[in-house]
Amino acid sequence: MSSESSKKRKPKVIRSDGAPAEGKRNRSDTEQEGKYYSEEAEVDLRDPGRDYELYKYTCQELQRLMAEIQDLKSRGGKDVAIEIEERRIQSCVHFMTLKKLNRLAHIRLKKGRDQTHEAKQKVDAYHLQLQNLLYEVMHLQKEITKCLEFKSKHEEIDLVSLEEFYKEAPPDISKAEVTMGDPHQQTLARLDWELEQRKRLAEKYRECLSNKEKILKEIEVKKEYLSSLQPRLNSIMQASLPVQEYLFMPFDQAHKQYETARHLPPPLYVLFVQATAYGQACDKTLSVSIEGSVDEAKALFKPPDDSQGNVVKRRRPTLGVQLDDKRKEMLKRHPLSVMLDLKCKDDSVLHLTFYYLMNLNIMTVKAKVTTATELITPISAGDLLSPDSVLSCLYPGDHGKKTPNPANQYQFDKVGILTLSDYVLELGHPYLWVQKLGGLHFPKEQPQQTVIADHSLSASHMETTMKLLKTRVQSRLALHKQFASLEHGIVPVTSDCQYLFPAKVVSRLVKWVTIAHEDYMELHFTKDIVDAGLAGDTNLYYMALIERGTAKLQAAVVLNPGYSSIPPVFQLCLNWKGEKTNSNDDNIRAMEGEVNVCYKELCGPWPSHQLLTNQLQRLCVLLDVYLETESHDDSVEGPKEFPQEKMCLRLFRGPSRMKPFKYNHPQGFFSHR
Amino acid sequence: MERAVPLAVPLGQTEVFQALQRLHMTIFSQSVSPCGKFLAAGNNYGQIAIFSLSAALSSEAKEESKRPVVTFQAHDGPVYSMVSTDRHLLSAGDGEVKAWLWAEMLKKGCKELWHRQPPYRTSLEVPEINALLLVPKENSLILAGGDCQLHTMDLETGTFTRVLRGHTDYIHCLALRERSPEVLSGGEDGAVRLWDLRTAKEVQTIEVYKHEECSRPHNGRWIGCLATDSDWMVCGGGPALTLWHLRSSTPTTVFPIRAPQKHVTFYQDLVLTAAGNSCRVDVFTNLGYRAFSLSF
Repeated sequence: MSSESSKKRKPKVIRSDGAPAEGKRNRSDTEQEGKYYSEEAEVDLRDPGRDYELYKYTCQELQRLMAEIQDLKSRGGKDVAIEIEERRIQSCVHFMTLKKLNRLAHIRLKKGRDQTHEAKQKVDAYHLQLQNLLYEVMHLQKEITKCLEFKSKHEEIDLVSLEEFYKEAPPDISKAEVTMGDPHQQTLARLDWELEQRKRLAEKYRECLSNKEKILKEIEVKKEYLSSLQPRLNSIMQASLPVQEYLFMPFDQAHKQYETARHLPPPLYVLFVQATAYGQACDKTLSVSIEGSVDEAKALFKPPDDSQGNVVKRRRPTLGVQLDDKRKEMLKRHPLSVMLDLKCKDDSVLHLTFYYLMNLNIMTVKAKVTTATELITPISAGDLLSPDSVLSCLYPGDHGKKTPNPANQYQFDKVGILTLSDYVLELGHPYLWVQKLGGLHFPKEQPQQTVIADHSLSASHMETTMKLLKTRVQSRLALHKQFASLEHGIVPVTSDCQYLFPAKVVSRLVKWVTIAHEDYMELHFTKDIVDAGLAGDTNLYYMALIERGTAKLQAAVVLNPGYSSIPPVFQLCLNWKGEKTNSNDDNIRAMEGEVNVCYKELCGPWPSHQLLTNQLQRLCVLLDVYLETESHDDSVEGPKEFPQEKMCLRLFRGPSRMKPFKYNHPQGFFSHR
Repeated sequence: MERAVPLAVPLGQTEVFQALQRLHMTIFSQSVSPCGKFLAAGNNYGQIAIFSLSAALSSEAKEESKRPVVTFQAHDGPVYSMVSTDRHLLSAGDGEVKAWLWAEMLKKGCKELWHRQPPYRTSLEVPEINALLLVPKENSLILAGGDCQLHTMDLETGTFTRVLRGHTDYIHCLALRERSPEVLSGGEDGAVRLWDLRTAKEVQTIEVYKHEECSRPHNGRWIGCLATDSDWMVCGGGPALTLWHLRSSTPTTVFPIRAPQKHVTFYQDLVLTAAGNSCRVDVFTNLGYRAFSLSF
């Protein structure tokens, strides 16, 4: 119904000015209470449900009235207008009620909205407060965490342990009573103590630094003093030269020798130093000197001369000459050599000259023996003192014919040298002990490493080698003398060895000659010795012939270069009533055993130079016993050729029926071992 | 027989001395252990060496298996004879007999269990003991040697019970004739004498050198070895090796071996004999000739 709605609208428009009216009313409320018709207050008093009912009833009434009007209008008539008017007035009243209800509803609505708005605002305010507080809480928590995680620098300092602290800190810092209970105080106290200590140490450090400066300055002063001393000392040395010569104290000479020694190659230098030291400390009979040209030694290190780089074309030398030159180059010796002179008790001297082969990195030695008096060399003693063999096998197996440096083989192959033994006569022997004295050690396992001279190796071998050298020379000289006597058929037994033999010895030595190694190997009765490996080519071989009546005893002797610590070995062959050797006669074997195995009895007083001659004498005695105790063969006629003169307890003993070969002193009879 | 391998090492004093000792060594006696696995050998230096037979005879034997397991100095003089009982090794040489426990000998530093010396008449020189013989029935040991007598020693008490005299020169060897029981002894005087153990008297004498078939005067008359098989006896030495029939005292077979024999023994129907002087013990097994040498 548009008219109704427009009618409704109008009161609406009018009533929308309620707010200013309310405002006025509010002010006027305070001025005049109860005078105005306050609809707001009325709203609170009325029940909205009843208003709703009223509204429904009013709408119904209006509808009824409209319907009645409609009816009336449609009927028409006069009274209709009055009825219509009446109804119109009623409906107007209803309309007024509706308007009022509408106003009330609006007011209620507005009030409701206002209330919600207010409440919402409050809630918002609380919400904001909550947010603020939460934010603050978070912030505070962060701060707390930060505070809790805070590591104070003091924890990084390593403090001394508690016990130490209480022990060391003075009581005014440690304040035991306070700090024991309170960890905070304790830490503070410890830090205090730490600070104290550090201050003290810093003080000390400063002091030490200043001390050091002082001392350094002093050292400087003294150094200057010393350096100014050197020229003064030199002048004194110069001035004292004539005095030195007058007093026979050649310090200068030794000094010059040291100067020369600086140009020696390392192995020779090691040898020189060690030998001089040994000579000064232990052995006054050893003297060391350096021979050779220092200028040539210096020239070795200079660059080659310009003249060699000439462009002039020359005919190339032939291949053979080239090879020869290369060989010479390879075997070149260093121009300097070290000479050692060993003086023995009987005034004989062993002269050793040590050379260094530069390209092969080995040392060689040449030896010479000179005696105080001129020696007449017996024929058989030719090899004893010859420079070639006097030092052979000083240590077992050290024959000096092969180069000790395994790397040399490759060098030799390049220039066609087969073996160094072809050159030893001129270059000297490269014995192993010579290398050791020069500090050179050639290990078999790793031949590629470069070998350098080592002082400790030389020092550890010096004493033994010198002693062996002396023993060797002396034993050779003793043999020399003995050989002279043996060649005349006399076995020289010294008086202190006479007790080993009976007074009467009938068998005689008639021959003593030297034989060659090959000849020894050819003998039929020496096979056992050859098979046992005792007959090498470094030994010396001799043949002795002992005779008595028709019996001839041949003795083949192997003289090891290590005589007399290694005994000579005898092999016998007896020609008497047939040929008897150790393979067909046990007694011959026993005789060999008497001289070979029981040699220690025959050594005589140290240094046992009498061994060989005692062995020969014993052989004579054994031959006597053998011949005299030979049992008489009943089938052969005639008396025994050799009557028994030796006193024997028993002629045969044991399952092998041995003759009594052992001589007993001083009773003078023969018995069995 | 193997030849010694030439030594390749440079020879110092000790190596030379040892080589010379070996060249002049003579092994005089040997004895097999009761278990059969070991062989003891005694040499002229008075040393006894124990070899392990099982190792040396096995198929994997190397050079080291032929070397002694242990060597020790047993006597001052040569060890001329050795014999084994079921637990002991008895060795004799210069005048006294020593006993060793087989179980102990393989350890180093073993000492003799006991040593006894028979009562000798002379005191000037101690006579050697050349032969030892065990008489199991009496549990006694018979010793014979340089003083030309046979001594019997009781093995339990160690006392010397009887002395059998009769030889005019020293005794070389002994043999036991089980059935009777009789002991045969051969000596330097060229006679083989039979002794009855119960009556301690000489029962029979055979002077071997007087029989032309076997005597060899250029060698001498000494009897070096004896073996008996109750009715039969083999002996040799200066005279040739001969097989004798004991009851009739007649030589039946003369073996054509030239060298004087040192050791002989009956083995089943065979006669095994050896004459050697070296530091080696030659081993023959069953004449199937698996021969090699044990070397000191």
